[in-house]
Amino acid sequence: MLPDKTVVNSALGAIAGGAEVTETTLGVVARVAASEAPAALAILKAEPLDFVMLVDMLGTDTGEDIEVTYHLRSFSRDEDLYVKCVLPYDGVLNSVWTVYPSALLPERETAELLGLTLARHPNPKRLLTTEGTPPLLRRSQVIRTIEEVRDR
Amino acid sequence: MSDPRDTIRAETLQGSAPACDLDLVPAGIKRVPSGVDGLATERLVVNIGPQHPSTHGVLRLIAELDGEEIVNVETSVGYLHRGIEKLAEHRRYHQLGTLMDRGDYVSGIHGELAAALAVEELLEIEVPPKAHWLRSLMGEINRLSSHLVWYGTFGLDCGAMGQFLYALREREALLDILEAVTGQRMMFNYVRPGGVLADLPPEAEQKIRAFLRTIDGYLDEHHALLGGNEIFQKRVRGIGVIDRATALSFGLTGANLRCAGVPYDVRRDAPYAAYGDLEFDVPLGETGDAWDRYLVRMGEMRQAVHMMRQCIDGLPEGDVMGKVPRVLRPPTGEVYARVESPRGELGVHLVSDGTDTPYRFHYRAPSLFAMQVLEEILPGHLLADAIVIIGSTDVVLGEIDR
Repeated sequence: MLPDKTVVNSALGAIAGGAEVTETTLGVVARVAASEAPAALAILKAEPLDFVMLVDMLGTDTGEDIEVTYHLRSFSRDEDLYVKCVLPYDGVLNSVWTVYPSALLPERETAELLGLTLARHPNPKRLLTTEGTPPLLRRSQVIRTIEEVRDR
Repeated sequence: MSDPRDTIRAETLQGSAPACDLDLVPAGIKRVPSGVDGLATERLVVNIGPQHPSTHGVLRLIAELDGEEIVNVETSVGYLHRGIEKLAEHRRYHQLGTLMDRGDYVSGIHGELAAALAVEELLEIEVPPKAHWLRSLMGEINRLSSHLVWYGTFGLDCGAMGQFLYALREREALLDILEAVTGQRMMFNYVRPGGVLADLPPEAEQKIRAFLRTIDGYLDEHHALLGGNEIFQKRVRGIGVIDRATALSFGLTGANLRCAGVPYDVRRDAPYAAYGDLEFDVPLGETGDAWDRYLVRMGEMRQAVHMMRQCIDGLPEGDVMGKVPRVLRPPTGEVYARVESPRGELGVHLVSDGTDTPYRFHYRAPSLFAMQVLEEILPGHLLADAIVIIGSTDVVLGEIDR
């Protein structure tokens, strides 16, 4: 189910810069400033919006910056909401674990694989790869083998 | 010479970066070490795994112990990282199922299905009804075989042995069916964008019907053998309690969420494949302890058998593959598709830029969230109970590391 755009928009009016709420193929997406993401998520988690669960979190290299997506869910209203913010390539990802503890490991993974700095996190280490591995999910990291290039 | 454990402790348990502001820590997260009798003993840092039979793959726990009691625990993963998300950016959409099989390798059908649903949603491909029913049928067969692995190994974690042999007897029959239908016993590659690989061969239907004639009695025996064992009950009752608030805040899904009393099941709340036409119950727990997780999964096995019967009896006639172009080029867009895998909500977040390969492919692994709650619930338990709690959460490291 899709949440009401006007309700989300008015609730997020409290944060600096507000939010831009649109409906895309993904669902209802609220775009906020990266520095305001923890505050925005805290508002969305509380009553009356009641998005109690952070289902997932991921980062995407758009070619110009890193887009971080938080996927929230409310069980009482059976609604899913996506919160997006963009960070520069050398940006700092502020942890939201005090709002949603489920972000602890996905944040480590996102920061590691997209080359961001993780801040306000209790354990900001690498999760999956070893020291010295480049940020693999950047588009600039090409891993296709010679055979794959030849056979396409 | 200094004690190397001091360095390990300093680096692994506190982290080397700026310390977290303690005023920000919610009350439930703060871990205050307590001795068993009020007297502190020397703290011992123990590495459990990655090569340990009880860690279900290559999970490594760095546990700080006060005697037998766990004071602090950190999970360490990545030993199985193959870069599935990055590899997907270099594969065509038809090839995503092959990668998903190697994520949660115990229940590959569900991973393939999530990837296929995401591609179908982007391309708006129509799937024939028979393919929907075959997806549900194979999904439930795979769910039952996956739960049987969990049932067998969970007993092993608690010190029981016999149930493992009997669980594999049933699983063998299920893998025979999967082999007859898909040609594979593990990496099926059966669910494709637009439908499924092939129709049921005649011998597979006979095998499924023969299996369904005996399985009810076997499940009763399984429950009596392990669940009726007094030692097993004493090992699992009341430990590893995950209450409703913890389960929601840590993003748990599947049986781990339902054992805390939250009635959420993707098959019922956002039906896909043929689940909208099937009749089934969602077993729920009350207290959220390891015993509840056992009961919920045993209930799910019975529901899986119930759904297999409905699928094999109600299988419609027709094609098993819709009209799909040879090379898939979805329009620019972003979708999230989810299925209920044996471990919880398995999601695929797919971003397309209009070319024949995904721009970004993200795999929402339910085991990752089930594993990170361990750091929250293990402190305060005995080391022997920690093994039981890990087993009760049913994590598969293939999808945590991806």
